Amino acid sequence: MKNYDTLLEDLAPKKFGKRGTIWTLFLSVIVIAGLIAYIDQVIKGQVVTNMRDYALWGIYISNFVFFVATSFVGSVTVAILRLTNNNWRTPLVRIAEIISLAAIVMAGITIMIDMGRPDRLLNLFIYARLQSPITWDVIIVPTSIALSFLLLYFPLLPDLAILKKHYSKTKPKLSNWYGKLALNWTGSPAQKLIQEKSIKIIAILIIPVGIILQTIDAWLFSTTYRIGWDSTNMGAYFISGAFVAGVGALIAVVYVIRRVRKLENYISDYHFDKMGKFLGLACLTYLYFNINEYLLPIFTAPVEEDIHLNALVSGEYAFLFWFAQIVGLLLPLLIVLFKNGRKPFPMFVVGMMVVVGSWWKRYVIVTPTLLHPFLPIEGVPESWHHYFPSIHEWLITAATLAMCMLIITFLVRFLPVIPIQRTAEERDMLKNTKNTES
Amino acid sequence: MKINYNIRFIFLAMIMVLVSGSILKVNAQEVKKSSVRIKADYVKTMNKEVTFKIKATSKVDNQNVDVTNIPIIVSNEYDDNEVELGSIITNMDGSGKFVIKDYNLIKPDSSGLYTVNFSFKGNDTFKRASKSVSYKDASIEAKIIVIDSVHYITATLKDTAKDSLLSEQLLNVQVQRLFRNLRIGEEFNSTDENGTIIVPIEEGIPGVDGNLTFEVVLLENDDYGTVKTLVTAPLGVPIVDQSTFDDRKMWSPRNKTPIFLLIFPNLVIFGMWAFIIYLFINLIKISKSKI
Repeated sequence: MKNYDTLLEDLAPKKFGKRGTIWTLFLSVIVIAGLIAYIDQVIKGQVVTNMRDYALWGIYISNFVFFVATSFVGSVTVAILRLTNNNWRTPLVRIAEIISLAAIVMAGITIMIDMGRPDRLLNLFIYARLQSPITWDVIIVPTSIALSFLLLYFPLLPDLAILKKHYSKTKPKLSNWYGKLALNWTGSPAQKLIQEKSIKIIAILIIPVGIILQTIDAWLFSTTYRIGWDSTNMGAYFISGAFVAGVGALIAVVYVIRRVRKLENYISDYHFDKMGKFLGLACLTYLYFNINEYLLPIFTAPVEEDIHLNALVSGEYAFLFWFAQIVGLLLPLLIVLFKNGRKPFPMFVVGMMVVVGSWWKRYVIVTPTLLHPFLPIEGVPESWHHYFPSIHEWLITAATLAMCMLIITFLVRFLPVIPIQRTAEERDMLKNTKNTES
Repeated sequence: MKINYNIRFIFLAMIMVLVSGSILKVNAQEVKKSSVRIKADYVKTMNKEVTFKIKATSKVDNQNVDVTNIPIIVSNEYDDNEVELGSIITNMDGSGKFVIKDYNLIKPDSSGLYTVNFSFKGNDTFKRASKSVSYKDASIEAKIIVIDSVHYITATLKDTAKDSLLSEQLLNVQVQRLFRNLRIGEEFNSTDENGTIIVPIEEGIPGVDGNLTFEVVLLENDDYGTVKTLVTAPLGVPIVDQSTFDDRKMWSPRNKTPIFLLIFPNLVIFGMWAFIIYLFINLIKISKSKI
């Protein structure tokens, strides 16, 4: 039992240290700055952005696509690894679930930020056309939020009950909260049966929902008859891209939590090695779809698409395009091919490269196409031929990213980031218990 | 000392001259107005209307710019009278269209010459400007005839005031199309001594419901301006209507959603949400089942 007490002490949520407080304050300041910018945008209208007739989707939509992609981590790591009985997932799944929930919630908020008249949000439902991919998005994002929440919450129940007991004497108020959230969990066979059944349903359900979410996100683009988007490859391309972005984000966050919470005994080199291989697989898949997306049109592209491809490969967007391809995909793939590249710190660097590369990749997917319409841009100011986000857009986007990290930070602060019950069971610390789902 | 005072005085005087010169120059720039050039084209469509296509431009910094949003008054001058017909305000291209539905509103002078004046009174930026357009009234009568099973369009050009036929005038014959009219017949169709032209109509020209609208045009004539007449005849190949306006398609309004799209996605949506509701019920069950 001493071992169990140590485990409980290690895995129970901990107060912010000095660095944690500074980090939280830093994120809060960015969120407040973004909020002020957003209020100004609502008052003055979207004229404060640099979006105009041509670049009518800008950084907000590329940021939305990034969030949606990152949320895919819940489907791939948690659900797939659970269904294939990969036990190495145990210390990673909760973090993946947290990232998934935070990202999909922020995706929903980001799409509202892009609306010129957010007060008309309800009209999206009232006047919905089922033929419109926007409507599909409006339906699938809340569905995904609900499932991501349930995916996080069901496996948490035993741990919340443990924390209630753990803090009953030292922190009764906190214990009371954990008790309420634990929904009277006692670990009875009836409760376990319901929980196991529910988790299995979620694990199965979240895979098609995740795939539908990514596909709809891709179809938002590919159902428009525009160069660079009008591609049958888009759905699979987006899913594989989300696979990379999600696993990259997971690796980066896992590394930071492991270091800050000193969880080296629970998240070992072995886990990073596994995640590295997982990321390698994701990168290879994504590389294949990138080749399909960009290499084949070089041979077959009509004039308009040729102009677009030239802008990406050697023109105005060449730097960002190659940055996203090399830093966000090729280099990470090369690094994780080597065993030493799959050690924790190199993996953290790889994770960060993937996340940053993935963000810019979405920018490169969204913006250049809008600036290359079939009909030439005419009769508008020269500045409308180009797009670079305004200060308002940068502040608001930074705030959404900070808000996502703030949600992750608070969930990490108040929830056990590694499933306590299941880890204890796997390490045979608890007697007479059947393995709990996590 | 006196010399010093003089130097200071001269220095101050020079500065004042320079400053006042600059101020005067600025004021002079402020009051300098640009000239406006008004262009007006007369177009008469038989049995329909008379149109004046107006364009206002100005030369600013050696560049021709469109003069937008200025009022231009249109008036009819005959003998010693001048009657205001109305006014237009130029659009973003500096253009405007003044349409007169009733020909009789414009009166000719004793020689049968019509004169229409266009005037702009000037504003803070532009000087006053005016333009006068004079024309004689001409008419074109066109009809379709059949000779040896071939359809022809024949048109006769006449000076209305003199009631005389106009020979050796060039008339264009064209079929109305969406973007640009389709010329038919010879490149130049000159009226004969009877003021008439005759042009064969090609077969196989597509038209909505098989109808073709022919235009016979006297284009920008020095004396008569532009005069045209329209003749519609069912001589074309009917265009098969491929409109999906009332069908259930992906691009239709929401009350015309394709049936498969109503069934399949709704099944998926309700199926998923049924499970989600079931899962929330399971949470309630867990909270109530302690043992």
